[in-house]
Amino acid sequence: MAIYEAAFGFGLVSMSVIALAAVGFTMQFGITNMINLAYGEVMITSAYVAYYLDRAGISIWLGMIAGGLFGAVFSFALNRIVYAPFQRKGTSNLGMVIVSLAISLMLANALLPIVTYNSVSYSEHTGSIVRLGGLVVTINQMIIIGLAIVLMIGIHALLRYTRLGKAMRATAANPTLARNCGIPTQRVIDMVWLITGGLCGVAGVVAALNSDSFAIASGAGFLITALAAAVLGGAGQPYGAMIGAVIIGLITELSAATWSAEYKEVVAFGILVLVMVLRPQGLLARRGALAAAG
Amino acid sequence: MNTFYATNLLVYAGVDIIACIALNLQFGVSGITNFAFIVFQAAGAYAASVLSMPPDSNPDYSFQLYVGGFQLPFPLPWIGGALAGGLVAIPVGLVVLRKLRSDYQAIALLVTSIIANTVITNARPLLNGAAGLALVPQPLQDQIDPRSDEYYYFYIALTAVCVGLVWFVAARIVNSPYGRTLRAMREHELAATALGKNPVELKMTIFIVGGVIAGLSGAILVDFITAWAPSVWLYPETIILFAAIIVGGRGNNVGAILGALLVPVGLEEVTRQLIQMDIGPPNLIPALEWILIGLFILGFLWFRPEGVRPEPRHVFRGGPDVGEVEHGRLA
Repeated sequence: MAIYEAAFGFGLVSMSVIALAAVGFTMQFGITNMINLAYGEVMITSAYVAYYLDRAGISIWLGMIAGGLFGAVFSFALNRIVYAPFQRKGTSNLGMVIVSLAISLMLANALLPIVTYNSVSYSEHTGSIVRLGGLVVTINQMIIIGLAIVLMIGIHALLRYTRLGKAMRATAANPTLARNCGIPTQRVIDMVWLITGGLCGVAGVVAALNSDSFAIASGAGFLITALAAAVLGGAGQPYGAMIGAVIIGLITELSAATWSAEYKEVVAFGILVLVMVLRPQGLLARRGALAAAG
Repeated sequence: MNTFYATNLLVYAGVDIIACIALNLQFGVSGITNFAFIVFQAAGAYAASVLSMPPDSNPDYSFQLYVGGFQLPFPLPWIGGALAGGLVAIPVGLVVLRKLRSDYQAIALLVTSIIANTVITNARPLLNGAAGLALVPQPLQDQIDPRSDEYYYFYIALTAVCVGLVWFVAARIVNSPYGRTLRAMREHELAATALGKNPVELKMTIFIVGGVIAGLSGAILVDFITAWAPSVWLYPETIILFAAIIVGGRGNNVGAILGALLVPVGLEEVTRQLIQMDIGPPNLIPALEWILIGLFILGFLWFRPEGVRPEPRHVFRGGPDVGEVEHGRLA
């Protein structure tokens, strides 16, 4: 039984990490209609930003903020310089997927000569151990869980109770109509990239902190788990992504405890395939915060 | 330039041309963004290997673990490789090619490619895991010495025959009524469906055909380099082929060949020369190659989405009014 309790503890951490990543990814898709396959690489780049700060002796929590800021600015620039011009040109959704994949490849390889293929880890990546009943988690993991909860509530508040959130929902539902109603959709979309990019950066640092070590190749794995959670919950639905993260986080950790840790991503992929076959619209299609009313 | 070097170049060119023609049938002609293409090539390579290798209990091969080991004579492993590519395409196609949005299909295939690689890397008893297979027997190596010039010419001829065969099949497909239906589906799936065409069936067929050709290309490659491991079929390898199709001209078989010669063959060759010059940190030049491939994709999609050799306009002369038919554009 102990192994399942431990797995549940890891599952809590895992779902926090996945939720941070998946919510940003799914919002980019829901509001700007962009499947950003470079998301995993932006995550890993942010993780490296925090890594170099960490090596310079700066606390990992400041590094996390720096990683978030980097993710925000980078994603904003990426959209302004590459994605938005291609979209304005009328490139199809499929064309945009190819564009983002090309960006992902370029980003990974721009990073490669600097960081090399070697695995690295943060200097303080465990922290002391806390026991809660049968659960064993470290202080850092507690902070990750807390951070995820706070940020998820923040996203919820943003979408539900602020003018910006309302404008985002309107832009997601129908960009042309939103623009005609006087919503500055361009500025809204800029804000979306800043916010989701920030989530992406924080998620990258958190994911790197939560794994024993990370390397340039980890980006693809980050992307797959975020993608699986987002698709499971219904692509474009932030609440769906949160539910997806909970399910995927728990199942992958349970499978790692009972089977093999190497197959975590394979399990996430299995869930992705099942969803695509059985319910391609995802769990929360047409209901979550970004769906059209009614 | 010695014979081995020239053979190397020509065989790689042949393999890339075959792969690009297959991908062009899927991506260019039918609009299926097969981001898992390299998996089918790998399936062919692995199948050809285990069909021609002795069982792993053989003392010379006991340092690796794999299933099979049938020691079949020459043409059979290649045929088996092609079949394996087609067989792998069936389950993948059944899951992915259903009524999903086309960009969903693309990411599902991309994820398939990454996961297939992870599984083969970690499941060692299946195909020797990360280390991969080595000492794959070459075709007719007991009759001609594989290190002789004659053997090189023989291998080039074999590759050329396969290129010719694949070209013939692809040309027949593109110019047939079936090819026209595929293009109709690519241009407007809903309209094609309304005319009674079944898009899932059409996509499935061309997915399997492409898988067979990809499998053959893998078989040719593995028998030439005599080794195969997960590190040679990572998903970015598919992106190179996509870059080739986009540069060469989507939907045009001549464009696919041109793209194969420009991007995988040409760029690899330039990179290799540069690596020999030994500039900068060790990873710099290969990394720059990938960045260049990304820039090719972005540049062509932005400035010339139809590629160097655009798809010929298929216009029906006898029609009442052809008008301004918007044609095959990705953008």
